[in-house]
This record gives sequence, structure tokens and C-alpha cells, in this order.
Amino acid sequence: MKTLIMIPAYNEQNTLESLIREIEQKCPEADYLVINDCSSDDTLSVLEKIGASYVSAPVNLGIGGAVQTGYKYAYENGYDIAIQVDGDGQHDVAYVRDMVKVIESGEADVVIGSRFIEKEGFQSSGARRAGIRFLSGLIWLMSGTRVKDVTSGYRAVNREYITAFAENYPDDYPEPEVIVVSSLSGARIKEIPVIMRERTDGISSINMKKSVYYMIKVSIAIILCRISLGIRTGNKNKK
Amino acid sequence: MTSEKIRIILTCGVIIYFVLILYWLKTKALNLKYSLLWILSGIAMGILVIFPDTLIHLSRLMGIMTPMYALLVCAIALIIAILMSITSIVSRQNRKIRTLIQENALLEKRVRELENNSKQI
Repeated sequence: MKTLIMIPAYNEQNTLESLIREIEQKCPEADYLVINDCSSDDTLSVLEKIGASYVSAPVNLGIGGAVQTGYKYAYENGYDIAIQVDGDGQHDVAYVRDMVKVIESGEADVVIGSRFIEKEGFQSSGARRAGIRFLSGLIWLMSGTRVKDVTSGYRAVNREYITAFAENYPDDYPEPEVIVVSSLSGARIKEIPVIMRERTDGISSINMKKSVYYMIKVSIAIILCRISLGIRTGNKNKK
Repeated sequence: MTSEKIRIILTCGVIIYFVLILYWLKTKALNLKYSLLWILSGIAMGILVIFPDTLIHLSRLMGIMTPMYALLVCAIALIIAILMSITSIVSRQNRKIRTLIQENALLEKRVRELENNSKQI
């Protein structure tokens, strides 16, 4: 199956080159696409220098818009599987094969790489884990799907959801919201264990100040998803 | 100040308001589509200034004792309506701009690759 690895990148000049080399080594059968989200550092010239396959947004889109650009590319170019990998080197592309296998077997529509199944590797801080557990519970309550690592940006989707996400994708902090949206639209979601590294360079896009906003925004988004879907299915039943 | 004086000042205010809106519409600084709510509120203001008794009827209709409070409630409701419509316009434009950026990025890649290929030939 035609597979695309999508790498949203914002100011990742130091990590991208090794990540791309790793992809070429460990998964030569897959294509990749870096989405440069109008980085203010030398990301663009690094990409050009190593002759990478990339698209470059002329103004900053935010992570949701950047990832969606990847899904649009995958949709237009007929890819069967699209895999999101963070540009900061946290995700080990060795797991791409495992994810592809799950999608190929038809076992799941969306596969999420989770660091909390085997509890190995980088686990992030206690406060952050508590926040993730809360969101995980909320998502379970709203959609009935149990996902442990709801903020993981390491995921793979099949053609059906490439099409859906190319059409519609949440704006900022999209990861937990996407789980609810796809789960409510009937996706089978599976988590597989992965080991994540501590980021080698750059800083997390979510700092202490933003984390409060993050929790509120994501919680409201999840609840609204549930409510609006209730209305939509209600309308369908009427027809 | 007598109520006559206030009414003259307010009438002038409403006239300036309409002149400004019409001027902006003429110079295309304002889109007619988005100015309908402003024109509507201007008409309401005009009616209230020319026939102040409408306010008393209005407040009685709303079951509010003091006409001033009725005016305040109406004004706030109108402002909220305008702000909501603006937020909805911004959201729609936000979506359109995002799509434009994405399509532009994808197009840039195609053009770049075409240029590179034609150079090789």
C-alpha cells in the first residue's frame, strides 16, 4: 500500500536532517513529506540543502492546519496510509512498520502510537500525565473509546480518514479532538506501544501558561463534538 | 440642559453616523453585506431621537419600569448581535484563508518540482 509519512515542522532545523535520514534507512518503502509551517529559523534552507520532499506554508498555519496540509497532499496523490510523525525527533520511525501492519490488516482505521502501554521510554512530567489521564477519561465518557495517550502526535490513518481529515481537521491542539471526531464517526481506533525519546532539541509547544488554556479549550472542544454529533445524528434519524 | 438641546445634539450625532456609513459604503471601506446591522441600528436610533415616546411604549411592552433601562437592554442586545456576526465572519474568513495557504503550499511544491524537471531537460 502507498504510504506517506507526514512531518509537521516548526523551527526544527537541527532535528529534521537526521529524522529524514532515519526514514530513508528504516522505511525506504514509504514516501515522506515535511510540512514547513513558516519556520522563523533555517528549517527551509536545511530542507532545500538536503533535497527533502517538502511543502512550505507562506504564513504560519498552526499544527492543525499544517497536518491538514499533509492530509490534503496524501488525498490528492492517492496515498492509502498517512502517518504523522513529529519533526522534533521524539518519535522513533522504527514503529512505522508496526502501524502500517495494523492498518493493512484492516484491524483499525486509526492507529495511535502510545507511550503509556508498556510505560517505557520518555513518559513526560507528572502534571502532564495527570492532564492526559483527565482528557483520556473525558474522551472515554464522550465517545466510549479508551485511548491512553490522547495527546500523542504519532498516528496512522487509512484512506477513509485521509479523505475525512483533508476535508475537516481541528485548528489548534487537534490531537485529542481528532480522536473524538473519528471515534464518533465510527472509526476503529487502536493504540500500539511505542517508546518515545525526550525531545533532543527545541521546546514543547505547550508551556505552563498555555497548559491551562490547553485543558479548557480541549475539554470544551471534546464536549462540543459530542453535542454537535448528537444533533447531526438526530437530524439523520428524522430524515 | 433642556430635553430640546439633548435632542438636537443626538439628532446631529445620528446624522453624522449615517453620513459616515454612507461615505464608507461609497468609498468601499465598508461592505454593504456587513453594514446592514449598522444601518438597522442607525434607523432605530433615529426613530428614538425623533419620537422619544417610542421608548416609553417600548419599555412598557418589555415590562421594564424605567425607559432608560429598556434602552440599555436594547443597546446591549444589538451590540452583542453585531459582535456575534463579526465573530462568525472572522471564523468563516479564517477557514478560507487557511484553505488558501494550504493550497498555495501544495501548488508551490508542484511548481518547484516542475521547474527543477524542466531545468534538467
